[in-house]
Amino acid sequence: MKRRANLFALAIATFFSFSALAQNVTGVVSDAASGEPVPSVSVKEKGTNNAAITNFDGKYSIKVGDNAVLVFSSMGYASEEGTVTGNTLDVSLTTSSNKLDEVVITAFGISRDKKSIGYAVQEVGGAEVSKVKDANFMSSLSGKVAGVNIRQSGTMGGSANVVIRGYSSLTGNNQALFVVDGIPISNAITNTSDQQTGRGGYDYGNAAMDINPEDIDKVSVLKGAAATALYGSRASNGVILITTKKGSAKKGLGISIGSGITVGTFNPSTFVRYQNEYGQGYGPYYGPDTINGVWTEGKMTEYDVDGDGVMDIADPTGDDASYGMRFDPNLQKYGWNSLFPELSTYGQSQAHVAGANDPTTFWETAVTTNNSVAVDGGSENSTFRVSATQFRTSGISPNSSLKRNNFSFSGSQNLSDRLTVSTTANYINQSAQGRMGTGYSNKNPNQSFRQWYNVGVDMQEQKSAYEATGKNLSWNAYGYGAANPTAPHYFDNPYFMSYENYSNDSRDRIMGNIMTNYKINDWLDFMGRASVDTYSAIEEERQAFGGVDVPGYVRRNRTVSETNIDLVLTANKNFGDFSFNGNLGSNVRRNAVSSISAGTNGGLVVPGVYALSNSTNAPAAPSENAYQVGVNGLFARASLGYKDYLYVDLTGRNDVSSTLPTANNSFFYPSATLALVFSELLDVDAIDFGKFRANYAMVGADAPAQALANAYNMGTPFGSANLASAPNTDANSGLIPESTVSTELGLEMMLFDNRVGFDLSYYDQTSSNQIMPARVSSTTGSIFKYVNAGVINNAGIEASINLTPVRSKDFEWNINVNYTRNRSQVVSLFEGAENLQLAGVQGGITIEARPGQAYGVIYGTSHERDAEGHPIVYDNVTYSGGRGGGVRYLRGEKDVLGDINPDWYGGLNNSFRYKNWTASALLDMQWGGSFFSLDTYYGYATGVYDLTAGNNADGNPIRNSIYDPAYQVHGNGGAGGLKMTGVSYWDGSVDANGDNDYSNNTVDVDANGDALYGDMSFYSNVLGYSRGVGEYHVWDASYIKLREVALQYSVPSNLLGQTGIKGLDISLVGRNLAILWKANPYSDPEAGLSAGNIQGNQSGAYPSVREVGVKVNLKF
Amino acid sequence: MKKLFTAASAALLIASCTSDLSSLNENSKAPVQVPAGTLIANATVDLSDYLASVNVNLNNFTLWSQHWTQTTYTDESNYDYNQRDVNGNTFDELYANVLRDLQDAKGLIEADDGLLPQVQANQLAIADLLQVYTYHVLVDIHNDVPYSEALGDVEADPTLITPKYDAASGIYTNLVARILAAHGTLAGDNGLGSFDLIYGGDANAWKKFAASLALKLAVRAADVDPTAQTVAETAAGAGVFTSSADNASMSYTSSPPHTNPLWESLVQSGRTDFCASNTIAGIMNGLVDPRRGVYFRNLDSLGDLMGGVYGQNSAYNTHSQPGDAVEAPTLAAHLMSYSEVSFLLADAAQRGWNVVGTAGEHYANGVNASMAQWGVSGTDAATYLAQTTVAYDASVWKERIGVQKWLAMYMRGNEAYNTVRTYDYPAMNIADVAQRPVPNRMSYGVDEYSLNTTNVEAANGGSDDDTDKVFWDVN
Repeated sequence: MKRRANLFALAIATFFSFSALAQNVTGVVSDAASGEPVPSVSVKEKGTNNAAITNFDGKYSIKVGDNAVLVFSSMGYASEEGTVTGNTLDVSLTTSSNKLDEVVITAFGISRDKKSIGYAVQEVGGAEVSKVKDANFMSSLSGKVAGVNIRQSGTMGGSANVVIRGYSSLTGNNQALFVVDGIPISNAITNTSDQQTGRGGYDYGNAAMDINPEDIDKVSVLKGAAATALYGSRASNGVILITTKKGSAKKGLGISIGSGITVGTFNPSTFVRYQNEYGQGYGPYYGPDTINGVWTEGKMTEYDVDGDGVMDIADPTGDDASYGMRFDPNLQKYGWNSLFPELSTYGQSQAHVAGANDPTTFWETAVTTNNSVAVDGGSENSTFRVSATQFRTSGISPNSSLKRNNFSFSGSQNLSDRLTVSTTANYINQSAQGRMGTGYSNKNPNQSFRQWYNVGVDMQEQKSAYEATGKNLSWNAYGYGAANPTAPHYFDNPYFMSYENYSNDSRDRIMGNIMTNYKINDWLDFMGRASVDTYSAIEEERQAFGGVDVPGYVRRNRTVSETNIDLVLTANKNFGDFSFNGNLGSNVRRNAVSSISAGTNGGLVVPGVYALSNSTNAPAAPSENAYQVGVNGLFARASLGYKDYLYVDLTGRNDVSSTLPTANNSFFYPSATLALVFSELLDVDAIDFGKFRANYAMVGADAPAQALANAYNMGTPFGSANLASAPNTDANSGLIPESTVSTELGLEMMLFDNRVGFDLSYYDQTSSNQIMPARVSSTTGSIFKYVNAGVINNAGIEASINLTPVRSKDFEWNINVNYTRNRSQVVSLFEGAENLQLAGVQGGITIEARPGQAYGVIYGTSHERDAEGHPIVYDNVTYSGGRGGGVRYLRGEKDVLGDINPDWYGGLNNSFRYKNWTASALLDMQWGGSFFSLDTYYGYATGVYDLTAGNNADGNPIRNSIYDPAYQVHGNGGAGGLKMTGVSYWDGSVDANGDNDYSNNTVDVDANGDALYGDMSFYSNVLGYSRGVGEYHVWDASYIKLREVALQYSVPSNLLGQTGIKGLDISLVGRNLAILWKANPYSDPEAGLSAGNIQGNQSGAYPSVREVGVKVNLKF
Repeated sequence: MKKLFTAASAALLIASCTSDLSSLNENSKAPVQVPAGTLIANATVDLSDYLASVNVNLNNFTLWSQHWTQTTYTDESNYDYNQRDVNGNTFDELYANVLRDLQDAKGLIEADDGLLPQVQANQLAIADLLQVYTYHVLVDIHNDVPYSEALGDVEADPTLITPKYDAASGIYTNLVARILAAHGTLAGDNGLGSFDLIYGGDANAWKKFAASLALKLAVRAADVDPTAQTVAETAAGAGVFTSSADNASMSYTSSPPHTNPLWESLVQSGRTDFCASNTIAGIMNGLVDPRRGVYFRNLDSLGDLMGGVYGQNSAYNTHSQPGDAVEAPTLAAHLMSYSEVSFLLADAAQRGWNVVGTAGEHYANGVNASMAQWGVSGTDAATYLAQTTVAYDASVWKERIGVQKWLAMYMRGNEAYNTVRTYDYPAMNIADVAQRPVPNRMSYGVDEYSLNTTNVEAANGGSDDDTDKVFWDVN
């Protein structure tokens, strides 16, 4: 047994097989462009498992036999080979998009030659993730990995939905599993179901966003089930495997400092375009048609404001719509700002005009700063790295901020030739204040801005009114004639809302592990590791005095922990042309979640004190939850290699889970993979590398905790009577494990001197026996019941293409394309059920899984259509007051209106290097998919959008009534309405069975040949929610975004000279700079509410934020 | 090294053992068994909340009966109940909350060996009466509903996951039988004590409730059920409500969450969604009804109601609004009242059925009880009753009973709507925007069509139009 150089990097456990070695070779590996040393380069003796890794200074040392060939490979560089001719061998590496001939990290941190792997793995370097930072690092992966779909919810620090290869679980978790240095970490989304369905609440993000991009060395994405069988069930959604930076042996210390600042501004193309012609109100029914001799059409309130005995004209300020009287600068009226004695405008009338500043002026400039310092070092027998990062950001909403501090330590020590211990420890503290409220809630300013608003308001006047008084002087006060004229009706002053009704939250988290590696003999290693991820979090929400909602306070405390104990034996041995590599291991996992949520009841006694004890009435019983999950797993993996071109892997795992009935709680699942490096068998110059791969895998899965037995909910006592109620979700004591079966085929090739590379995958994955709370007829006594049912299939293709059109010493151009096309199909549900409701959202819309359809269809009221597909319209009644008339859409059956899944999505990255300059631009795109907009559903009805005003095709204001002559007399009526085209007119005839008869229908004209008009004269118009059709508000979600732009200059070392600085990089970065194309006019098609299974619903969507920043990295 | 290898092997073995993991899955925060009274009390609250609610997502009948109309958002006044899934929500609330809790309570009571036999019988009877009451509410809304196969043990019989719809008339017959059985059982104390939120543990009070409920179902089915007369006469003879002290009502608390749900919708929400409709304004103004100032506020200078055109937008400030009494958080909600029972007796007497007293007497009792309930003085009530437009007149009995019962059922939307359908009085207005008359029933929710398709499609002989009539609405 020979001595080994134990340069240990935690997640990179390389395997040594020392035979009789002749000489020691040392050298330095440097970057061909910058001349800087390159650390962590794998140095391998070709044809053997003998390997070493370069240290921080790029130095390596390896004992090799005579005439050995060394292969140098590292992430992001083209591999180099060099023949040993002496005791030293220095090489320089050129950057490359060649990612095939590399070492990749797989389950349990086992590093393997990528060529031997029979499933899809795609890696992203740490620099790619931290280059253009987002508060949620997951967002930085968007467009960079094929098969991974990332959707950002749009609020500061909000959650990111990360789904790999489609939604495979009907109601369970579909988020990828995050593993950091072998520690599976919680990525819980704790947003309430109200929040996720758009009924209000805050998006508190997802837990994996605690990961600090500055500490990331590399990210490996394991996409399929075969890649992940060793992680157990949770990995069937794919794994995002993160390896953090480690220390390395060197003289002295390595110090790196990074600092960046980014400013963000709202993107107007993702916001409402307001009409500016009509004022406050819903229609003509507030006061008399004529007030004090002025024709107001009943759209203004009559009130004697100045007490002179003559009626004055006032806005109906208590209403939250813009279907009021046409603006007229010559008309004096009283508005919201006339109501408040605190204001100089009190009792003053003003001109009836649109607000000088619309809600676009509400959005502020967001500022993000990031500062980090890392120190690493090491000696022959030990290494360490410590780092600290502070991240701060403010949102575009006033009074919103988030900060995060990450501290990390990693170290390793060789206790003997055979025994190494290592540890990583991370402490993360994140806190936020004034998160931006989401969904249909007064705490989300967009609910008002997009749906319920008076365009006569000057937003900056709302701001100064709040700032001058600290009070809720709302544009939406009840108004003149009401019992309480100055109290807010539906909406608070948005500044009062931001500064007084704010939330705060914080999370303290510790993640770490202790690991022992013991080299039993030259082919057998033992690894024992204990890891923990635990955090406690608090969320506090406030409602101040003087607002629309009852004053109150809610707090939620939650503690979450996961521990894993892994014991793994690893064998690694060659037999002639055959190589064997395998593991036998066990995993004991325990999860525990404990939470409590409590709120005040009926108000607060003392204003401004947010404490449960300050509750007006005794607080209701808090909601408490506690659950634990235990899984004991045993697994084995065997990998057989023949020569350098054929590899077969077999894995098997057995889990025993606490969440299943004892009789059914043990389940086994196997996988098999094949990799054939056919380029080794060919002798074609153009082909540098070629591999075909195939795999088959099964994965079992357990149930959610506490799904086997019913328990009663205890309610708040009614007087002295305690209350209990049966659960609405019926448990099932007979559940069996879920099963997922997947197959995958792949082809990887590098061509033409590594100028062209691609990786193609086809996959097909079917999950069955899904455990889900199926919606059942409530006449059973339950609303949901846990069942084993449901089959869902996802099949798709992924392509990752790398091109290097130009490669020279000074200039290089790389193109990277990622493309994903996933097709999901819900095959069957429970007992022939026709649908599985994922969520009921507002607007009569449900997001559903329906057999034969893709997962996540948008279901709701459709247009009734004629045989040619034209929406059918019919005569609308004219009701009293002269409104109505014209035609309206005929509502059809409820039907599938859209689908949350894109047809395809992908990214296109161009990067350029010229000497010390690098530049890159990432386009991120999605084609197809759709979403329902509650914003236009309501906003069209309330007359907020530009589309509800202006003139029709005949040059008349569309808001004029269509027919009623009474309104024409005054010059502001008649011949109005929206001219309808592409529609089919039904005259109301029915056939003998009483069914609608469309055989006489005419397109775009009525029975008399006259053009068709839809009434737009008040809120019950032809487009909005009241008379319209849900389908009208389902939008195409396609987009092309300029996601990231970066320009970096690395100061050459000769310029740094004697400063002691070893490296200095300066970069300009931009993120979400533009949406180059999208189908919907008023929002970011990507905007959502929360990560999770409920997508495709926009309610009070936030505009997207363009970020531009500068960043400096220093190394000493 | 050998030691380590041995230790590792041992550890692998330990992990492979199936230690008793199942205890990890127990719920430490929620009980698997509770006192039956907690479930009965909860079901009572849920049922009462449903009946008293004017939440547009749950109960639209105060609008359908045209007591109120909506000010700004007039969709429900125009009978658009599908957009908000009001029908689906009604099923969820009444089946999965009210009926389910009562069903579980019955199981727990039956399994409780510690109860005295009479107490056990009383508790079962009360839980059953509340279920009967709930089912009759469902039938009156929809006509056919799942009954015989509802609330079943799905794990024992998987076909019960899709309960069939039973004929409404058959359900009524069965409900009456259950009432009479419960009536025969009830005696003494029911042992529920404060869990009995309606009668505080008094089984005899429940006995009167049972008789009154039987009378109600019989009178409702008078035009279609040949046994109705016998049932009504039996019930009346067995002892129905004799004063408002017998009312089956829930006294709400002054603080949330157990206030009258009206308070939440009208006061706590700060919304101004409802005002008097021109339908009730026309009738009450015409009758110079002394309840106008209690039912509503913001009357005109003559003391008349200012009603909004039904179904059309109406400014809140310039119309009469739900009255201060209605806005009280403690306002009691009635499941059944003496006033209502009096009108039932008036109807029965008018039909010549053998109930003690004349139609006119019962009619006057019904009016007077309502007046007293809303704080109107006896003098004012007498003056009101003395008017020729109000005084009982057998030649127009349907109009008299219809109008006065409809007025007395203020804030009992379901029952006011039933009254209109029963008597076709008072005349309702056409909803202005929808331009359609009051629906005759509510059609089934969309969830039933996707989850219980075959059965719901067969209900009501295959027709689910809301212009169809429920089985008892034939004249």
